[in-house]
Amino acid sequence: MSSNSPTVLVVDDEKPLRDFVRRNLEIRNFNVETASNGLEALAIFNTYHIDLVILDIMMPHLDGLETTRRIRQTSLVPIIILTALGEESDKVHAFDMGADDYLTKPFGTGELLSRVKAVLRRARWSEFPAINEQITREEIVADLERHEINVRGTLLNLTPTEFNLLVYMMRHAGKALSHRLILQNVWGPEYGEEAEYLRVYMGKLRQKIEKDPLKPEYLLTERGIGYRFKG
Amino acid sequence: MIRRWISPLKDLGVQLLSLYLLIIIPALMILFAFDKLAGQRIQADVRANDLSLARTIALETDLSINKSLQAVDALSLYPSVLTSNPEKMGKIFNIFLQTRPDVNLIYRLGANGIMLYHYPIGPSSTVGNDFSFRDYYQNALTSKKALVSKGRISPTTNQAVATAVMPIWDGNHFLGIIATNIKLVSLSETLGEIVASRRPEEGFEIVILDSSAQIIAHPDSHFLLENAQSILPAVYAPALAGESGTQIKNNAEGEERLYTYTPIPSAGWGVIVSRPTETAFATQITIHRITLIVSATFIIFGLLVWILLSRRVIMPIERLSSLSYAIGSEQGISAEERAQVKSISNRPDQIGHLIRSILRMEESIATRINEQKTLLETSKAVVSTLDPQVVLDRILEQVQKLFDVNMCAIVTLDETRNAFRIRASLGLSKEYAAQLIIQPTDPNSISMRALNTMQPVQISDTINDASFASRLPLAEREGYRSLIAVPLKTQHTPRAALLVFRPDPHIFTRNEIQLLVNFANHVTMAIENATLYSRSDMRLQEQTHRIESLVHSLSDGLILSALEGGVIYANRRIGELASLNPEELIHTSVENILNRILLNTPNREEIHKKIENALSGKEERDINFPVISFSGRIYLRLQVFDVTDTNGKAIGRGLIFRDITADQEVDRMKSSLISTVSHELRTPLASIKGYATTLLADDVEWDETSQHEFLTIISDEADRLSALVDNLLDLSRIESGNLNISRIECTVEDLIQRAAKRARLQEGNKLEVALNPNLPTLYADPPRLKTVLRNLLENAVKYAGDKAIIRVEVLCENDNFIFRVKDNGPGIPLEESGRIFQSFYRVDTSLARIASGAGLGLAICQGLVQAHGGEIWTEPQQKGACIAFSIPVTQMGNENEE
Repeated sequence: MSSNSPTVLVVDDEKPLRDFVRRNLEIRNFNVETASNGLEALAIFNTYHIDLVILDIMMPHLDGLETTRRIRQTSLVPIIILTALGEESDKVHAFDMGADDYLTKPFGTGELLSRVKAVLRRARWSEFPAINEQITREEIVADLERHEINVRGTLLNLTPTEFNLLVYMMRHAGKALSHRLILQNVWGPEYGEEAEYLRVYMGKLRQKIEKDPLKPEYLLTERGIGYRFKG
Repeated sequence: MIRRWISPLKDLGVQLLSLYLLIIIPALMILFAFDKLAGQRIQADVRANDLSLARTIALETDLSINKSLQAVDALSLYPSVLTSNPEKMGKIFNIFLQTRPDVNLIYRLGANGIMLYHYPIGPSSTVGNDFSFRDYYQNALTSKKALVSKGRISPTTNQAVATAVMPIWDGNHFLGIIATNIKLVSLSETLGEIVASRRPEEGFEIVILDSSAQIIAHPDSHFLLENAQSILPAVYAPALAGESGTQIKNNAEGEERLYTYTPIPSAGWGVIVSRPTETAFATQITIHRITLIVSATFIIFGLLVWILLSRRVIMPIERLSSLSYAIGSEQGISAEERAQVKSISNRPDQIGHLIRSILRMEESIATRINEQKTLLETSKAVVSTLDPQVVLDRILEQVQKLFDVNMCAIVTLDETRNAFRIRASLGLSKEYAAQLIIQPTDPNSISMRALNTMQPVQISDTINDASFASRLPLAEREGYRSLIAVPLKTQHTPRAALLVFRPDPHIFTRNEIQLLVNFANHVTMAIENATLYSRSDMRLQEQTHRIESLVHSLSDGLILSALEGGVIYANRRIGELASLNPEELIHTSVENILNRILLNTPNREEIHKKIENALSGKEERDINFPVISFSGRIYLRLQVFDVTDTNGKAIGRGLIFRDITADQEVDRMKSSLISTVSHELRTPLASIKGYATTLLADDVEWDETSQHEFLTIISDEADRLSALVDNLLDLSRIESGNLNISRIECTVEDLIQRAAKRARLQEGNKLEVALNPNLPTLYADPPRLKTVLRNLLENAVKYAGDKAIIRVEVLCENDNFIFRVKDNGPGIPLEESGRIFQSFYRVDTSLARIASGAGLGLAICQGLVQAHGGEIWTEPQQKGACIAFSIPVTQMGNENEE
């Protein structure tokens, strides 16, 4: 395996599923580490350099959500959650814990690979910003070079996806942007229908930047269309 | 005497009086009217009569005067008169006097008023006398017509006369007068005749007055030429003025008289006719008197009748009424009153008869009242209690008093022995009361005879009565010689009779027997009342008690409260929920109970607010909330309802607390089932889809080994899916009770190995199987038993992990195979061990601890084991879990059970 290839940590208590993910990623030049539960996964994560974590939610000993929360305490590494539960609340819960994306079982090879690539691409954008610039919108200052957001003098800690979403919204301040447009530009061309991602991320961003998240000043909802940054 | 006040309008005496007056007053009025009218008529007649008399007299007199006037008129034309030739005048005058008896003198005065001649000449001649002073001479000087003088005494004849005068004129030369003296006596004589023609008692008085009001005619000639005033009151003036009429005046003697007056026009005189009113109006007075007498008679008669009526009829009736009022009243009749009534009752008429019959009635009523009073007192004493035994004792006490006896008893049918026994007695010895047993068939028993005939039966002397011979010794010992048995007409209680004993021979009189029978009826009523009451009271209490126990032992808590919040009733469950003992529950408020129930509840304020709203009827009246009780968290549903009376008006509130923890658990389990099944089904599906898409991917070429590997996994996972579906079906069969077990001979070792193969043991797992030697043959349903083992092994792997050592032990104890599946994992918490066999129950719902399928697995195991007639349980051990189950050792032929 190439040392340039990203290393993916696959965590699932079901061996067949774990193997399925591992085999597909390995054959496409990813380095793969596997773990059968959360505790094992944390041990591996702390040992190796991991570029992406694929994590099942339902596992014995330490479930996927708790594992995500613990990883998020130290790292902004992209995390894809695997879940058998298609419920909206589970997705929201996963995003709240810091997941970047999720896959609902059963899923096919195509879905798996496109999500992996998209998540890695987003992470790379954040790591290597194209332009050195600062965007300032009233009290909010985004430093693209340093990957920092400063609101009313306070430095915020944002995940790459949150950062990318906020920067995208700030760049197009004043314009109403559709769900699809935002998703394709922030998450990647594979996305477009996942309006609930936006709902979760907008919620998280409002919690962080707005004075009163229930009465947002900056991230405004355009009913039936999408969102607009105040401008 | 009590005289009841009766309004005067309604008093019989006054009524009768009124009726009498009603009849008499109109009659009297008619009488008086008649009297008045008749009086008026009679008066008018009398007056008219008198007036006509007066007028007749006036006419007569007038005629006579006129004749005289005509005569003097005629004489004045004689030449001898003109010339005053005495001889010739004498002849003429003589003839004239012959024809006129009422004239006593005729004379001729010269122009100077000197008497020239008069005839008859008479002894006292006045010839040559000057009469020019005379009023008629004076009048004649100015008149050419004949005229009449006033009355006077003629000096010539010395008689009272009035003179008819004719002045004699030769042209305008006055030659003197010719005059005749009319005898007033003759006028008076006429009047005297008229008066004489009347009845003397009529008291007629007729007077003629001349124009100077001198009496010139009167039946009594003594009054002639007297002034009218001397005998008449002032009634003549109108007559002299030319009017006629009547007046009633008193005369000089004070006698009331009717005066009638009328003028004599030719002479200017007047006629006055008078008579006493007493005689004039005698008829009217008579009628008036009759009227008065009749009225007085009526009034006196009426008064007499009324007095008679009052004394003879009304007064006795009043006495009678107060007597009958007194009958039965508290005071009774006083002796004085009785004496008065007694005296009236001696009368032979109807009133006397009536009084006598009422007195008799009073006597019989008093007797009856007395009797009733006695009975009432006794029955009051008897019914003052509802305890049957006390009632009987009281009855007997009353019998003692009422009949003045010492011994009495009540016998009743003892239903258990079917014989009559003494139920209660007074004055009898205890031995007698205890020993006396009467067979219903005993023909000699007086009680039985009375009961069979339902008539009182008496034995007036025990010694002489043949039927009593057998009991005589007993009777002698007790000391009675006569007795009577009265049957009690019971309906709802056993048959019974009342016995009264007397120490002497005694024939009970009809009255005594009647009184006893009456008393017996009261007694029956009292006995039945007491018995029925005690029965119904018992039944009511029983029913109330039953309902109370029912409500009390409801699993739901129930509070009934007054509108203002005081607790009227709260059942046991409320006591448990609020940790209050029954005493405290009664004297508390709903508020207090709620506070205690909600003591450890999260969101206490909020829930309390909701309950308050529900109580005030503002919001929904069903509230679900959790509370923390000593047995852990439970969920309660509170339902508030209004308790209303028959009109629908709220009189209180009911609160029902239902423990819905189990319902909530079921709900939780249902959603747990859905998520579990979803997870369980998706896990193998995910592998199948994953490998299928892997094989289908265009960008990668897999070698044959990998392809085979992938397909094998797909196949295995499909098997797993199918097993899972089987499990679900089994579970549903277990839950619905439709699981069929078919036992065949099985090899235990083989079953375990086959189950282990399917249990997907991991590479690191180690399976140890320890079989007790000498195991009997196992008869079981192999697929089902395999499922049990596989589930237990899978659980062991899931909970104990990849490296777990799993041990399966099988032994036989007390005709049961005991299977134990042990692992060296974290083990099962003690407090959870009882519940893990419930469907969908998983130790700790947190996802971290969940291993797939465990929720169903143990429940399925339990169902399958129980279907085999065995049991499943957990066994605590130092490390790891141990789940054991038993399968009974059965023989072939005992199988095919459900």
